[in-house]
Amino acid sequence: MASSLVPEKIIKEGLPDSILETMVPQAEVQRVIKPAPPRYRNEIAKYIIRRSADCKLCGKCAEICPQGVHVLKPGYKYFAAPHQNVCIGPACKDTGHYCVDLCPNKALRMVENPMMKVLGDYRWTPDLILATWKMAETGAPPPPEYGYEYECGNSGGGFDRIRFKFPARPPVELSPDDIDTSLELNRRNDGRPQIKIDVPWYGGGMSYGSVSNVTQLSKASAAVAFNTFTCTGEGGYMERLRPYDDHTITQVATGLFGVREETIQRVRIVEFKYAQGAKPGLGGHLLADKVTPSVARMRETVTGISLFSPFPFHSVYSIEDHKKHMDWIKHINRHALVSAKVSTPSDVDMVAVGSYSAGAHIVHLDGGYGGTGAAPDIAKKNIAMPIEYAIIKVHDFLTREGVRDRITLIASGGLRNAHDIAKAIALGADGVVVGTGELVALGCLRCARCESGRGCPRGIATTDAELQGQYTVEWGSQRIINLYNAWRIELVEILRRFGMRRVSELRGRTDLLMHLDYSNDTEQAR
Amino acid sequence: MNRETIGQLLLSRKRLAGELQPAATERKVEEEGGCGVVGLCCSEPVAARHIYEPSRQMHNRGNGKGGGIAALGFIPEQLGVSREVLDKCYMIHVAFLDTGIRPQLEDKYIKPNFNVATTQKLETLDDWTTVDGLEAKPPDVYRYFVRVKGDVLNSFVKANGFTGLTRDEARAEFVNQNSIRLNQEYYASLGEQKAFVMSEGKNIMILKVVGYAEAIVKYYKIEELCAHVWIAHQRFPTKGRVWHPGGAHPFGGINAALVHNGDFANYHSVCEYLAERHIYPQFLTDTEVSILMFDLLERTYHYPLEYIIEALAPTSELDFDRLPKDKQALYRAVQAAHIHGSPDGPWFFIIARSLPQKGAFQLMGITDTAMLRPQVFAFCDGEVQVGLIASEKQAIDATLLSLHADDSRICPVADRYWNARGGSHTDGGAFIFDLEPDKSGRLRISCSDKFGTPVPMPTGGEACDFTAAVAEVAGHIRDGLKQSFEKRSAADIFEYLSGGIRRWSFAEIRAALAYLIELAKEPKGSSAAIEALTLLNDRRYPVGMKKRNHILYLVRSALNAVFSGLTKFDGNGPAEGGYRLIDHGTRGLLRPPQNNETTLVIDAMGFDPEGEGCDATLLMDAYLKGWRRFISFNCIGQRFIGCGLGPDSDGVTIEVYDSSGDYLASGIDGMTITVHGNAQDQVGQIIKRGKLVIHGDVGQTFMYGAKGGSIYVMGNAAGRPLINSVGRPRVVINGTCLDFLGESFMAGDVLNGGGFVILNGVTFDDEGNLIALKEPYPGSNLFSLASGGAIYIRDPRQQVVWQQLNGCGFYRMADEDWELILPYLEENERLFGIKVEELLTVDGKRLNPSEVYRKVAPVRIAALGKKIEGAVVTETDLLTVSTGE
Repeated sequence: MASSLVPEKIIKEGLPDSILETMVPQAEVQRVIKPAPPRYRNEIAKYIIRRSADCKLCGKCAEICPQGVHVLKPGYKYFAAPHQNVCIGPACKDTGHYCVDLCPNKALRMVENPMMKVLGDYRWTPDLILATWKMAETGAPPPPEYGYEYECGNSGGGFDRIRFKFPARPPVELSPDDIDTSLELNRRNDGRPQIKIDVPWYGGGMSYGSVSNVTQLSKASAAVAFNTFTCTGEGGYMERLRPYDDHTITQVATGLFGVREETIQRVRIVEFKYAQGAKPGLGGHLLADKVTPSVARMRETVTGISLFSPFPFHSVYSIEDHKKHMDWIKHINRHALVSAKVSTPSDVDMVAVGSYSAGAHIVHLDGGYGGTGAAPDIAKKNIAMPIEYAIIKVHDFLTREGVRDRITLIASGGLRNAHDIAKAIALGADGVVVGTGELVALGCLRCARCESGRGCPRGIATTDAELQGQYTVEWGSQRIINLYNAWRIELVEILRRFGMRRVSELRGRTDLLMHLDYSNDTEQAR
Repeated sequence: MNRETIGQLLLSRKRLAGELQPAATERKVEEEGGCGVVGLCCSEPVAARHIYEPSRQMHNRGNGKGGGIAALGFIPEQLGVSREVLDKCYMIHVAFLDTGIRPQLEDKYIKPNFNVATTQKLETLDDWTTVDGLEAKPPDVYRYFVRVKGDVLNSFVKANGFTGLTRDEARAEFVNQNSIRLNQEYYASLGEQKAFVMSEGKNIMILKVVGYAEAIVKYYKIEELCAHVWIAHQRFPTKGRVWHPGGAHPFGGINAALVHNGDFANYHSVCEYLAERHIYPQFLTDTEVSILMFDLLERTYHYPLEYIIEALAPTSELDFDRLPKDKQALYRAVQAAHIHGSPDGPWFFIIARSLPQKGAFQLMGITDTAMLRPQVFAFCDGEVQVGLIASEKQAIDATLLSLHADDSRICPVADRYWNARGGSHTDGGAFIFDLEPDKSGRLRISCSDKFGTPVPMPTGGEACDFTAAVAEVAGHIRDGLKQSFEKRSAADIFEYLSGGIRRWSFAEIRAALAYLIELAKEPKGSSAAIEALTLLNDRRYPVGMKKRNHILYLVRSALNAVFSGLTKFDGNGPAEGGYRLIDHGTRGLLRPPQNNETTLVIDAMGFDPEGEGCDATLLMDAYLKGWRRFISFNCIGQRFIGCGLGPDSDGVTIEVYDSSGDYLASGIDGMTITVHGNAQDQVGQIIKRGKLVIHGDVGQTFMYGAKGGSIYVMGNAAGRPLINSVGRPRVVINGTCLDFLGESFMAGDVLNGGGFVILNGVTFDDEGNLIALKEPYPGSNLFSLASGGAIYIRDPRQQVVWQQLNGCGFYRMADEDWELILPYLEENERLFGIKVEELLTVDGKRLNPSEVYRKVAPVRIAALGKKIEGAVVTETDLLTVSTGE
């Protein structure tokens, strides 16, 4: 696999021995797609199949089902519980495999799982969650027979009302292998390394504290496989992340928790988190119950005390402070690229161009659709400009100011799938940051209880020793690798339909988009 | 001013706003930016080139897209006018972006309204591209000395019913309204802007360019133009493409110029407030809005300066409660009327204005209530007086050095440097330098705070004549010094010299120091001389009636001479004393230490303030090559000293002299850094481990997010020290802080390895004796929402009250607490000569530690978490909590 790692000598030049001595061999993770079945035998499924006492155990259902829902294990007298999560439901009628109809004893009954009414939310619909799980399981887009509507959610706004205007047939016929999805992160031409990632996205910052170390390591491992990045979040740099230094972004956030010179010097990208789109005007917060002894140790704070990061940086109240702040990081690490993560206030265009003039390589706009359950609803739902407006505003302003090609514009905040990613790029971003999607791949239900008590019932956003032991890094990383692979396949397909060889060609092509509410275009059949 | 007259003015402006085409009420988007500012006033007129150096040094606070200067109080001959014209006429500067419209503009706005005493085109260089730091052709500027025509004024007064205004007030209003009309037609209304009024007032000029401020001095050829008051501004507009300087600072009102560092959060609401009074911005920056506010409060409401400052930066919280009752009533009224026009968010104004009736001038700095922008004031008293205000101390130092080169009566070290405490009952967050003529008509400067309380200056008035040749050292001093030098013991030399300084004349002191520089060249002499001079620089000792700042300047010059005399990097010969000197010219020769070399001495003059070419980068390279001991001198505000050396830098020492810059010692992990003077802003961020000693004051957000280290500060910390600190920082601050000390402090259990701050609340008097400050902690917020660690505050009179605490309480000072902090106080004694015994002595009585120190530590509040095992403190020790229980 092509890797664009900076040659070793460049990275090492200008770093103190005390850093070099602690450098560890970097983990190698192959981009291999393997099935990563759900953690639970009876994973939540769209359809529920009930078998009545009328079943005569004839075995007809197991025989006809192409999905392998019905299992009669050899040596067993009765059927095991059906694998409902692979059942495609009444769609089987079309192919003549509908077990309910075909059961000689009419012993089978199928209903839509009532959980579909409570799973997820308008933005992350049950279909989208199940489809993401399927992608994380298989490494490919879910087969159409499942009938998942996963290209959009049902929020009635944002990316859910934006569609692509695909041409009837591609202007150029391209094979998927001809299509390049890589992204250059350093456009300043300032002597700092060129860093190219293989897919136009990287993983968002989630601290140890907000999520478990297994979650962090799974994300990091997948980042290596796709030659992209993950981010530490604000809670410091776990020692166990060291084998992933080359693919880790150190976040410097307003609480400065766990930020030390060495954590800045060991990485290739440093991110300033000025604000989060899900809660602009608020710093990060971690409630008391999640501040376990190990979290407190890493942040050097007091166990069991809620941690509220300030907003904004106490040392940055204007643009020249911002520049000084970046100069500081650039001084400590002469090879790192610097990213500024900001939310989307109405003057986001000024913020972006200001970040450019202060020396940032990446400006990262974080919109308000994202955020885990920890972000307060009052903030998530009411503050900041929708990301789809912010991207265009910034892209256009940077273009007008003549600096668009000297800075990398990254968008994030509620980008759930390859279609959202492609839409963000078509609106003007170079690439995106994903967050919640990765957690869904790990089994997140979007129950939005991330912050309360000891955290996540599914052991993802938790620091509880027992809860976080629910899955292994190996499984977690495979799930995210599979998801990334499925996304990449879909992104390549979108580019193929437009006849584009490179993802960069899609950037800013708002002419290829329609807005169902504001443009006169009508949605075409796929 | 009475209500009726105010009504007349407001009505008049309403009519004006109604007539403007296109409508002035149309709201546009504000432009944003940041900046660096400096203001200077002098009892003698000083030349523009003195604003050049500080402007140049603040480049990194601008980006070359907007610079401006203002000057007030000229010499009439230099402007080619009579004293009478200068004093009596309005001096209007109009910037022409399109020169072709000048006749038309003059026919419409100048000639019909004014009797023009003289019209001058400001001279310029022929080719603007030859001036470094200019990004676009500066406008052609015309200066008009004018008087409002009598009949024009009469009809203006009549039409507006200005019965309550004096003739002068009516003239000012006319000039202002005329400028508004002019700007609306030629600037605000057009897609392409053609001309605008830069300044309007008596004895005042504003010039601005797209470029750096100092380029103005070159382009308009005003190096030699003298004025009593100067302000300069480097702008960092966020937007990249700027072709004309309309948005640059300073902005002018009648007789006033204002520069601003910061960014309002409530630009729109201030605009609304102004709109209710029929005032509309034309240049779309918050700076313009600021001067409009100032002008409104001054010329419409006729407030005295104190009320104006209160309206801009209201007094709040505990500070309000501490005001006298009558003042509270007054301020409540001011706030009730004007709070919506009060700028919110980070801002710092420097305002210069002329007061033509009195022949006086004022230079003032006003900070916002939360002190979110950096600000330093300084005053240099003497035959020639200088008052200074700047974003950074290094800009003040550069100005004084530049002035000293021209006029050696001005000492490069000021008598006093200080910060303002925003919205406070102590100083009101503002200081005003008043330049008023004395009986002989000569301008003299006095400095006072918002309440009119004079800023105390050192008592000693005996000045050094820096121009005199250095005399031969007297025999007895020569012998005495030589003898004390025998053992190469810095302490002996210090003792001899500091003892002598009190008795000797300045001439003798200079001769003695010159002789010491000679002695430094003897074998093993340099380190003894450096250490002894460093003690003379750092320590407080009695100086008799001599000016302490003059002695400090002599000591620092001697130190500089010794450093400069060390073996250069390109020089041959042994590195005497293990020192090797590197400077900007020889930086390329850096190599690992050889032979007996131990200490790299860096002459920081000429290095960039940051980036590849900065001295901190050189220091980092030298560290990588094996150097471990460093001396950095001649610093002119360069940043990041000590940063980037990574973990485990134990054994590294850095001694920093002169004007060190921001972010010093940020992130250090093991090394020792000593600052021989004041330190700046953002010092010691995320510091992990090691030792930092500051022989002076330290600036804003000191030790933000710090994790550890032993830190000693001889003087004060400015606003927001130790915010969000975790781990185990151990800090001694001998002075006090402006406010917000230790907010969200999270540094563990103080008696089990956690962190703490010792706040002594003391200072030195003119004789070098330790005295308690008026109050140990004046701020309204101490240790707010802290969840770990503790503050030990020296407060024998129990002056700190529970209202200053939020989420913490006073605890009994136990023996364990004293045992914990004593070693740090002993080290503090060793470093600064502040004796533990003296700290424990109150009114001549030696008290127990628990009677002198109070412990402030967190209480568990429900909002932050449940009670957890091993809680920070046991509740039984709790004396008072922040709710007053």
